This record gives sequence, structure tokens and C-alpha cells, in this order.
Amino acid sequence: MELIASLLIISLASIASLKYRWLGWASLVGVVILVPSQPAILLLAFLIILNMLSLELMKRSYLAGVDYGLVAFMAAATIYAIYSTDLSSLVAAFVAVSVPTYMLVMASEERARTDTGIKYITFMVLATVLFLIGVALAVFASQTGDETLYAIAFVAIVVGIAIEVGVAPFHQWVPDVFVSADAIPISIIASLAKFVPFIVAFKILSATYMGNGTLIMVVAFLAIISMFAGNIGALTSREHSRILGYSTVANMGYILATFVILSKPEFLWIAFAGALLQLFANSFGKVGFFAAIKDGGSSPALTYTLALSFIGMPPLMGFWSKVLIISSLAYSGFIWLAVIMVINSAISVPYYIRLARELGAKDIRGLAGLVVALTVIATLLTLLPGWFIDSAKALTAFIGLGGV
Amino acid sequence: MIWVLLLPALATVAAPFLKKREAMVLSFLAFFIPFLVSFYWLFTGYTLEVAIQDVVGPIGRIYIYGDSLSHAFGFTIALISAMVAVYSLPYMEHRFHEMGLDVGKEFRKYWLFYNLYAASMLWLVYAGNFILLYVFLEISLIASFLLIYMYGYGNRQWVALLYFVWTNVAGVLALIGFILIGMQNGTMAMDAIKAVGMTAWLLVFVGMLIKLPGFGPHIWLPWAHAEAPTPVSALLSPLTVGLAGYVILRVYFIDSSFIESYRIPILAYGIFTSIYAGLSVFRQKDFKRLLAYSTVSQMGYMLIGFAAGTFGVLGVVIQYISHAFGKSILFMSAGAIIAVYHGLRDVEKMGGMHEYVPTISNAALLGFMTLSGILTVGMFGEFFILKGIADIYGLSLTAILPVIVVFIISGLYSFYTMKNIFYGKPKGYETPIVSRLLDTPLYVIGIISVLLILPPLATLFLAGVKIAFGGVLP
Amino acid sequence: MSSAVTSTMASDMMPLLAALFLTPILASTPIAFAWAFRKDAPWARKLPILSVFGLFVSFLITLYILFNVEEGTKYVYPWLPAFGIDFVFIFDYLSKYMGALTGLIAFLIGVYGLEYMKDDYRLGWYWFCFNLFTASMLLVVYSDNLLMLLIGWEGLGIASWGLIGHWFRDDDELSYVGNMGRKVFGLNYFWSPSFGGWRAISTIRVGDMPMFFAVAAIYAFAGNLNISEIHWETLFETLGAAGTAILLIAFLMGPFTKSAQLPFSEWLMTAMTGPTTVSALLHSATMVAAGTYLFMRISWYIEPWAFSNAGMDAVYAFVLFLGLISSLYAALLAAGMWERKVLLASSTMSSLGLMFAAAAASKWLGEFAVEVSFWYLIVHAFAKATLFLVAGHLIHVTHDRFCGGDTEVAKKMKLTFLVTAFATISLAGIPPFTAYWVKSAMDEVMHGLIEHGMALPLTLLITISIIYSAFLAKFLSLNFLKGKKVHLHLHGGGLMGAAYTVMVSMLLVLLYLIMTGQEEVAGEFFHEGFVSTSLAVGAAVTVSYFFALIKPSIPQLSTVGRVLSDRLYMPFLNDLIVPKIGWVLVAIVDVCNRGVDFFFHQAIPAFFESASKSIRKIQKGYLASYMRVTLAAVMVLLVISSIVGW
Repeated sequence: MELIASLLIISLASIASLKYRWLGWASLVGVVILVPSQPAILLLAFLIILNMLSLELMKRSYLAGVDYGLVAFMAAATIYAIYSTDLSSLVAAFVAVSVPTYMLVMASEERARTDTGIKYITFMVLATVLFLIGVALAVFASQTGDETLYAIAFVAIVVGIAIEVGVAPFHQWVPDVFVSADAIPISIIASLAKFVPFIVAFKILSATYMGNGTLIMVVAFLAIISMFAGNIGALTSREHSRILGYSTVANMGYILATFVILSKPEFLWIAFAGALLQLFANSFGKVGFFAAIKDGGSSPALTYTLALSFIGMPPLMGFWSKVLIISSLAYSGFIWLAVIMVINSAISVPYYIRLARELGAKDIRGLAGLVVALTVIATLLTLLPGWFIDSAKALTAFIGLGGV
Repeated sequence: MIWVLLLPALATVAAPFLKKREAMVLSFLAFFIPFLVSFYWLFTGYTLEVAIQDVVGPIGRIYIYGDSLSHAFGFTIALISAMVAVYSLPYMEHRFHEMGLDVGKEFRKYWLFYNLYAASMLWLVYAGNFILLYVFLEISLIASFLLIYMYGYGNRQWVALLYFVWTNVAGVLALIGFILIGMQNGTMAMDAIKAVGMTAWLLVFVGMLIKLPGFGPHIWLPWAHAEAPTPVSALLSPLTVGLAGYVILRVYFIDSSFIESYRIPILAYGIFTSIYAGLSVFRQKDFKRLLAYSTVSQMGYMLIGFAAGTFGVLGVVIQYISHAFGKSILFMSAGAIIAVYHGLRDVEKMGGMHEYVPTISNAALLGFMTLSGILTVGMFGEFFILKGIADIYGLSLTAILPVIVVFIISGLYSFYTMKNIFYGKPKGYETPIVSRLLDTPLYVIGIISVLLILPPLATLFLAGVKIAFGGVLP
Repeated sequence: MSSAVTSTMASDMMPLLAALFLTPILASTPIAFAWAFRKDAPWARKLPILSVFGLFVSFLITLYILFNVEEGTKYVYPWLPAFGIDFVFIFDYLSKYMGALTGLIAFLIGVYGLEYMKDDYRLGWYWFCFNLFTASMLLVVYSDNLLMLLIGWEGLGIASWGLIGHWFRDDDELSYVGNMGRKVFGLNYFWSPSFGGWRAISTIRVGDMPMFFAVAAIYAFAGNLNISEIHWETLFETLGAAGTAILLIAFLMGPFTKSAQLPFSEWLMTAMTGPTTVSALLHSATMVAAGTYLFMRISWYIEPWAFSNAGMDAVYAFVLFLGLISSLYAALLAAGMWERKVLLASSTMSSLGLMFAAAAASKWLGEFAVEVSFWYLIVHAFAKATLFLVAGHLIHVTHDRFCGGDTEVAKKMKLTFLVTAFATISLAGIPPFTAYWVKSAMDEVMHGLIEHGMALPLTLLITISIIYSAFLAKFLSLNFLKGKKVHLHLHGGGLMGAAYTVMVSMLLVLLYLIMTGQEEVAGEFFHEGFVSTSLAVGAAVTVSYFFALIKPSIPQLSTVGRVLSDRLYMPFLNDLIVPKIGWVLVAIVDVCNRGVDFFFHQAIPAFFESASKSIRKIQKGYLASYMRVTLAAVMVLLVISSIVGW
């Protein structure tokens, strides 16, 4: 019921915002009515608000005020995906988060960047197709017990989300799109849009997984390639957006690595909490950095904190997410994968510090400063991470598919 | 009295808002009072425990915990931090001038990170949960990294990054180890851990070997310690790297199986590291780099101690203290010369420096005496390590000869350096005016180092350290 | 003797002992501070009197202990009770005499130093080290606990280092050893004070560390560190022959290096770069003797004569011959030496060798041998300290460190001449002077070894005695009678003269004790003086003395003399071979460091950089090529997955 109300509000607000851009904010109401009093979801709400706030940094866009509505729509889909155990709803959510980004990616202050859009959309379509095929096959195979078919389905799902979020070696679109698109829309693609693919994949794969260890190795393999490709690629990149693009590739690798927990379902919660927190850490960092890029820099205290969070320094958010991810790897017996993660976090140090130095050459000012400051506050929210872990653990109750 | 541990936090927050001299006094007190208190705790065998939060899963209960072992490390950290805080004032003022920075403004940043750095090390030894310990380990890394990044010498940003990468790898490897411990025991709270698996031990040990560092990874240390601003070197080298030993000690006290199974390789590696680094000292042209190699050599003592049974481990504790005392004095001496002679650190350009800076020279002597265990607390460290060697390896020449060589080399490079830098024909420098803040802190540390071998301090001190070993020691 | 030790606890001695050790140190702190802060104040140069007063207080306390404290008393003060290690002071036959000797000599040399060092540029350092040295020496003397002894032992080492390198500026020719600028086979054959200090401490460290280990091992195996309480026999039994030998040799490495036995003798020669007062106190009377003293002390309680252990027996035989060979070596050097102080240093080394040898003979001949050795130490200390002080005075008045002076010197410095003559005669072993009786007893000890199948020791001893006597006469002759003409700068010298006169008169006191039998042990030596061997040796020594007095240098033998005064090229070991080996190792290590540094900090980053560039090369910007790659990857993965699923 709330979902319908929510979507209605968002649609109305979007239409209104075509006239007056600021009315786009009204769509936030549609999101708010969906938010339950679960701390992890409140954190998500905070991220959404930051996403919408950073939209304010764009003076105008071809979408007029609809971009707020699109973000709100994605947000609603994300929240819904977290709570839904219904296969069709999950697939719908996947598509619902993907499609608005097609439009967002082209937004800029001057004109619609169609060349960027084409590159992006091609990949997304491929991702969606693969994903949908994979889901259908997986559900079918798990019901018939056909392991061969399931293996293909599993890989199709994984590759689908890999292309969707930009896991190497399917990451080619990421650096190009990150550099050529406007900083603000890309910050939304790099943050809010990443949640649903992973959550949905988590739910579907854990419900259908048939115990083939080699498939887990495929995932681990992809995760490693992605970590290395992202971190090493960023090392010598010059443009800030490109660095962040590669950083996204690396971060997606970390998150994908948590999928190895499929072999130890009893510890699923820890991997889920880790993946979720890493998504948050990545999102807040990206939002903050892109806002800083948009504004041409920010205060060093803020940029260094964000960089340190990315590197995984305690007591920032990026640290706790890594602790949880490493824990999940340890629980599933993938200690070597954890060690590779360590090497990667070491490789990442130079470019994050460089990014922080180059972006942190100014004073805080205006709205961009506020956005960056708020992202920094967000990374400190998990100073004592107990509340988040508890909350994420509670959310694992919604993992699994009803009716399959 | 537990609140005194929060004083450094107060200083971290408040010092940046004060004038530089008041900030110095505040920082000094914020560490000196905890020094006195933890010293007292050590003597009385006091144990403290404060709960912070219960966390699920592998993390477990997070709390503050202090036993005699914590106090033994804690008082050292607090004392050195207090003294270096005093020393920082004239030194960093010189450094800011040299870099052409605004002294008042930079001091604000400096005090913030300095106090954060020292405080995180102090809290590290009072952490009751491995994850908390790790958090403080990394905070100290960040703070020291930033200090090097901002105020270091040479190619400081490169050096700072290098330092960050190495110690980050070290830390995170240990973190995986901690997580495995947590997984195995369901908690990372130190009081609830029953056993430490071999993989976990290996990861912690290897991580801490990088931080300590042993041969191989040792190569990062001369860069970082030589190019850091000297007050930072004077914390980095005496306190920070040795904390790797503290971490190993903590795990050792819970479950010593790993060390006991691999005693011989650890001993061999420790001896090799120590002799290798000791020999490296002779070739160094840069005073601070020379001291950095000496640190590597001294850290080899720690490994030797770990391989030498319970008494050896007791030796490790005292070795940490004595090395901290000695090396902080020495880095501050090197810094004092840098400060009064505008960046003079090339050993070949020195010679007969006693003529010009006699107080610094005599302080450096105290430092080298502490390193080589002459009339100072270092003597106990060597004694207990040797006793441990005799306990475990008997009179086997293959074990004792190399260990003896290790100790001899420390004495040799100490006095060789003294001769080359401070004695011989004076090189014709001007006699400078040395700020009293540049030499008094050195003497305070040196005198405590001497007093610690004599009653009544020695009596209380060693009895206190022994408590940490519970009933293990006879 | 150990049976006579009672474990009395004299609880009232705390203040006295505290005063004994702390007064010298505290009394020298004012000048140390004055020199740091107010060097030029007129009162600063008066402060040495305070330091000497501190030495005087210590001396009085040692006298009190000598006369009033019952032999065998021990005093325990808690130190590390948690580990069963305490400060244990022992007052037995050895320590009571040795303490008083140290106190007296230190005080007298202190008085001498007031004048000798009065214009020095570094008085704070000098007096602090000097008094620290005295306190450390007293600690070594009185301690029963080995760890406590080590504190004193290290104190000796560091104070000795400080005092040898006292004139750190290396700017005064008078403070060097060797002919300035001389090279032998390309090696610099002269040594500066700062180098002498480094040489001393580096050699001593080589011995101290094995000794330190031995102490730790004794603690590990015996559970006790008090020399007088350890059951040595049981300990040696547990360790077995090899273990005992390793332990004892490790332990004795400390005494060997400190007492400059072969091959660790070079440091004592280059130690002559220190002020003469230092040479007199440290490098003749006390510190170098501390090594032999420690050997006597442990022998006293091990009682090696009472039981047999293959390892221990071998070590004692080793010490016996090491001592004799070192002694012979040093005596030969002294015979060829031209530098006043280095000559005396070699002669000291020779005497130390004899002490080791005599004390080691106790294995076969019992406690008496230790007593002989100890008394020789006492006699030698006073005589040699006197000679050093004289040498210092001569260096002052002639501004020359090489022997020189004709009868004019003897005439103008009558007192000095007489003192020197008496000291040399007394020390050489010419009957009926002091050393004769002690040497006689030593002859008897070595003679006694013949019964145990060792004839060599006596032969060596006689040879050494003859050479010894000859170079003492040479010293007298070349400085006062037949040396080259010198220009004298006579002024002052009263305090110095008084100091060495009192010092030499102690030999008369000793002579009195021996001849009257007032002192029980020394009285025994009196009888040994009338044994035929002793009389024969005495006669030979006398002849050699007077021969050398008349003919102090033999030009025909100048080549031999040169070889001897070049110390049989021993410096090549210390200055060339050992350092070369060290530098080769250092060079290897350095190359290694460069390699590791290059690998981690150049090669690895470069690898990542090129990897990064190739990863970024994929980004061509063309969608079609991206799609090809992606689809290919998808296909590959799907094929793999279908194979996996099969």
C-alpha cells in the first residue's frame, strides 16, 4: 500500500518539478513514508538526502526537476528491494533502479550527453538481459535440480550484476563514463544505484545456490580481478573522476568477494552486513568526492577523512566494512582472499592520498562544502559499529525468496 | 584515577586552541600525569577494567583493560610522549621557520596530530579487545603519517606514503589474524579468548614482523624514521614499532603455542635481523638513518627474547622500555643538532661535536648506554634475555654465540658513533645557544633509565613487571 | 675459606655503605654541573677539592670496614627480591684489603690530580668519571652478587672509556700513543685519545657480553647469584665437563679483556692516551686488576683444589698458561718500549698475567696460590701507581712522553728520583724488598707445579722476572741517569710529589707486615724467601736490574727493540685484520640493503606503474571494442560454467 502511495507522490512531485525545479524535493516525501525505523535504512535515507542535496549543485539539467523524482524512484525501489522476498518484485526493483540512471547519466548543465549515455546504456541493457536470463534459468534449474543449467544461470546472474555495477573485466564503461559524465549524476550512479544489484543477487543466489564450490571460485576470481584492475588502474590515473571510476571497480570487487559466503549460509548475515556497509562507505565517499570535484575542491580535513575511510582506516566506516568483509571471508575459509584484499588496500593508499591532497586544497564553502561535511559525518556514524551490525543482521530475515 | 587516561584526549582537543607554549605545557601534563599514575599502577599491581560496548559476533565485548603489562608499556609511552612534547616546541618552531610556514597556524595542526598520535599509542596498551587495539594502532599510523607528510624531510610525501603502505599491510594482516581469533573464539575480547589457531598466529606474527620490523621489511624503517620530523621520529622509533612486540606479547599471553613451536626459526631470524641491521649502522652517513638501523637491530632483540622462553619474554618487556628510553634520547640528540645547526645531519660533517654541544653529547652518551645496557635499565633487558637463552638452549654454543655477538655489535656501533660524531678533532663550528627545552627532556629520560636499575625503583619496577607474568615466573 | 663465611646480616650498615658508594658520585656532581653551566666561574676550578673529599670519605669507610667489620660478614639489601637477586655485600679477606687499597689509591691519585689536572679544559667530565670509577670499583670489590657486580663492572668500563678519551679534541701531541705520523706497512702507528677510548670500550664489550651471558647462565642453572653461596661443585657436575668449560671461559672473557690478556692487550696500550692519573688508577692499580681480582674471588669460593672436573681443570690450566704467555709477551714489549707510560702499561700487563697464572695454580696447590696472587696484586698496585704518577710528573716537567733525562734530572728532582728507585727496586723482587717475598712465594707456587708435571711455568716465571727487573731499571736509568738531555720546566709539583711519596711508602708498610708476620698470610711469605730457588731467582733479578741500570739501551739490538716497541705487530690484528673483516661484512650488508631497497621501493612500484598503464590502455573509448571484449569474456565464462556444471 505504502509503495503505491509512495510512487504516486514521487510521480506527482516529478511532474510538478518540471515547472519548478525545487518542487522535486517533494518526491522525498514519497521515500520517507517508505522508511521504517530500521537504523540501516535510516542510513540509506541519509544517503538519499545527500544524493538529492548534491543535485542542487547542478544549476540546471535537461531533466528540469525530474532528476529528484528519479532519485526518489530509485530510492523507493532500493528500500523495497531490501524488504521484498518476492522474485518478481526483486527483478522489478533491479530494472527500476537501472532505468532511471539511463537518463541521469546524460544530465549535465549544458546539454544531454548522449554519447556518454549510449555507452552506458548499451552496457546496462546487456547487463539487464543477462541478469534476467540468469534469474529465470536459476529458479528453473534449482527447482529441477539441474546443476549444469544452474551453473550457467549462476554465471549469468553474476556477470549481469558485474556489468551493471562495473566489476572487472566488465568495467570498460566505468572509467569512460565517470570521466565524461557530469560529476553529480555520476555520484548517484556510483552510490545509490549500486545497492539493488547486490541485494537482489544476494537474495536470489542464496535461495537457489546448489553447493557447487567451483562457482564460488569463479566469483572469487572475478572479485580479485576487479580489485587489482581497479586499484592498479587508479594508480596512474590523472583525472579525479577517472580515479574514482577505478576506485568503484575496486570497491565492487570487495563487495563481490562477500558472495563466497554462499558456501557457509549460517554466516550469511556477516557477509551481508559487510557488503551493505561497504556499499555505504563507498557511496558516502563517492558522493563527497564528486561534490568536491564539482566544486573544484574542498577542505583537506574532509578530503583526507574520506580518503582514509576508503583506505579502510579505523574508526571510519570504511574500516568496519572491511572488518566485516574480511570476517566473512575468514568464516568461509577464504583467508587467502582476505590477504589479497590487504595487498589491494595497500595499493590503494597512494592514489587516495593523492586524491585527498589534490582535492583538499581549499576551504569549506557553500552547499558543496555542506555535502562533503555531511559525508564525512556519515563515515563517523559507525564509530561504534554495533548498531549497524545488529540492524543488518535483522535485515537478513528478508533474505531468501518466498514462493520459490 | 582511571580518568587520567582521558587527559591526552583533552589535550588533543584543547591544545590546538592554545598558544604554542601553553599547548606545550598542556600536552606535557596530559602525558606526564598518566606517566606518574601508570608508574604507580605498575608498582601496586593494579588492574583496571572499563566496559564500553558489547558487540555481536566475532568482535565481542569492547572494553578498556589495564594490567601490569599495560602499565609497563603505558608508563614508557606516557613518559616519552611527555618529554618529546616539551622538546617539540623549540624543534618544530625551527622546522616551521625552515619550511617557511606560519608558526602559530602550523602549531595548531601539529599539536592536534601529535597528541592524537601519542594518545592512540597510550590507549592501545589499555585496549581490552583486539579490534580496539587495532583501531588505536591505525589511528597512531594515520596521525604519524600526516605528521611526516606535512613536516618531514627529503621527499616527504613519498616517504610518508611508503610508511603508510608498509605499516598498513602490517596492520591489516594482523587484523585478519585477530578476526580469525575472533571467529575461533566467538569474540575478540582478550579475557574471553581461549586459544589462538596457527593461521591466526601466523598472520598476526607476520604482520607484526613487518611493523617491528624484521629483516626484509626492515627497509621501510630507515626511510620513515630518518625523514620524519625529529619529534615524530622520537616517538615512531622508540614507541610505535615496538608496539608490534606488545601485540605479539598479548597474543603470547593468551596462547604461546606458535612461538613455542617455531622457536628456532624465530631465534635465527631475530639474530640475523639484529646482526644484519647492526652492521648496517656502521655504513650510515645520516645520523637519523643510522639510528633507524639501530632500531631494527634492537627490535631483533625482541624476536630473540620471544624465542627464549618466559624469561626471554620478560626481557622483551624490559627491552621495549630500555630501547624506548635510549632511542628517544638519541633521536632528540640528533634533532637538537639539526635544530641548532640548521639541518646538520651528515655524520661525516660532524666530529668533535662535544666541543660545541656538550650537553647534547652527554645526553647521547646516556642514550647509547641505554641501548648497550651499560648502567641503565637496558642491562636488565639483556640479562633476562640471556637467562631465557640459557633456560631454553642450555649452553649450546650455536645459540649463545650469535646472541652474544648481537649484544656486542650494539655496544660497538654505539661507541663508534659516539667517537665519530662527538669526539675527535672539532670541525670548527660556532658554539650555538642550545635551548634548555632541547636538552633537559633527554636528561630526564636518561636519569630515569639509570634509576631504574637501582633500588628502590628497580625493586618496585621488576616486581611490578613480574606480576604481568602471573604465576608463570618462579 | 668459604666455610668461614657466616651469613651474618649487619643491618646497621646501610647508611655506611650508601655513603661509601654515593659520596664520591655526589661529591663530583657539583663540578659536573658547574662545567655544564658556569665553566668560567672562578669557583668552578675549586670544586675538585670537593670531589677529592668524596674520595676521602670513601677511603675512611673502607678503612673502617678493614678494621672493624668482622671477616666473613655479609650485608644484604633488597634489590630484586621478586627474582631472588639482592645487593649482597661481602666482607671477606679479599674484599676488605682490596677495598682499602682502592680507597687509598683513589684518594691519593685524587690529591695528585688536583695539581696535575688543574689547568684542564674538561674538569667536570674528568672528576665525575673519576669518582664514578671509584664507586664502581668499590662496588665490584665488595659485591658477592654477580649481577650487582656487573653494575660496577660496567661502571668501570664506561668510566674508563670516558677517562681514556678525556682529551677528546685529539689536539695535543702529549696525549697520543706512538710516534706521530709514523706508518708501518701503510698502517698508521699512532693512536689518538678518542680512538683509545673506542678501542678500550670495544675490546671490553667483547669480553663483557660472554661474561654477562655466563652470569645469566649461572642464574639459570644454580638459581643463585651470590658467589659465596653457589654450590659450584654441584653446578659443574650438572653442566658436565664441556658445559663447565664453556661457562667458565665465557665468564672469564670479562676478566681476560679487562685485564688485557692476549689477544686483548692492545686496548691497554692505547689507553695511555688518557691523563696519567687515569693510567695510574685504572690501568695499573685497580680496574685492570679487577679482572684478576674477580678470578681470585671466584677461585676462592669455587675451591678448585677441593674437587675435580675435567672442564674446570682444563680451564685452570688454560688460564695458567695464558697468564704466563701474556706476561712474557708484555715483559718483552716493555723491554723494548720508549714511551714512559706505554712501558709501564706493558709492565702492568705482564704483572696481570702473573696474577692470573698464580691464582690459576691454586687448582693444584690450594688456597695459598690465591693468597700469593692477591698479595702480588697489592704490592704491584702501590708500586705501579707510584711509577705512573712519577711518569706523569716527568711528562709535565719535560713536555715529552718518551723516556729521557740524565743525572741532572735526578739532581733537580731528588725526591722523585728516590721514590722511583725505591719503587722499582721494591717491585723488581730484589731481596729484601717488598716484592721479593711475594715473588718468592710465587716461585714456590710455580715450583710446586713441577710435582704435577708442569715444569714450564717456573721457567717462564723466572724468565719474566729477569726481564721485568731489567726494564724497571731501564725506566729508572733512562729517565734519571743515562737518558738524553732534557729541558725541565720545574714549577709546583709539591702536591704531586706528596701523593706519590705517600703511595710508595705504603710499600714499606707492606714490607713491615711481611717481615714481622703481623699479617698472618703475608707472614707466611717470609719463610718462602729463604728457600734456595727464591734466593737464586732473587740473585738473578738483582744482577739483571743493575745490568740494565748501567746499560739501559743496547744499540746493537735496536732492530729487536723496534719490533718489541711495535708490540710484535699486534696492532695489525686490531687495526687491520679485525676491522677489515668487519668492513667487508658491512659492505656486503650495505649492498644487500641497496638491493632490498631497490626491490621494494623501485622495482615493485615500477611494476605497478606499468601494470596500471596497461590496464588503462584498455580504455580506447570505442564502444564497439568494449563490447567485443565484454561479450568475449561473457562467453568464456559461460563456457567455463557449463563445463563446471557438467
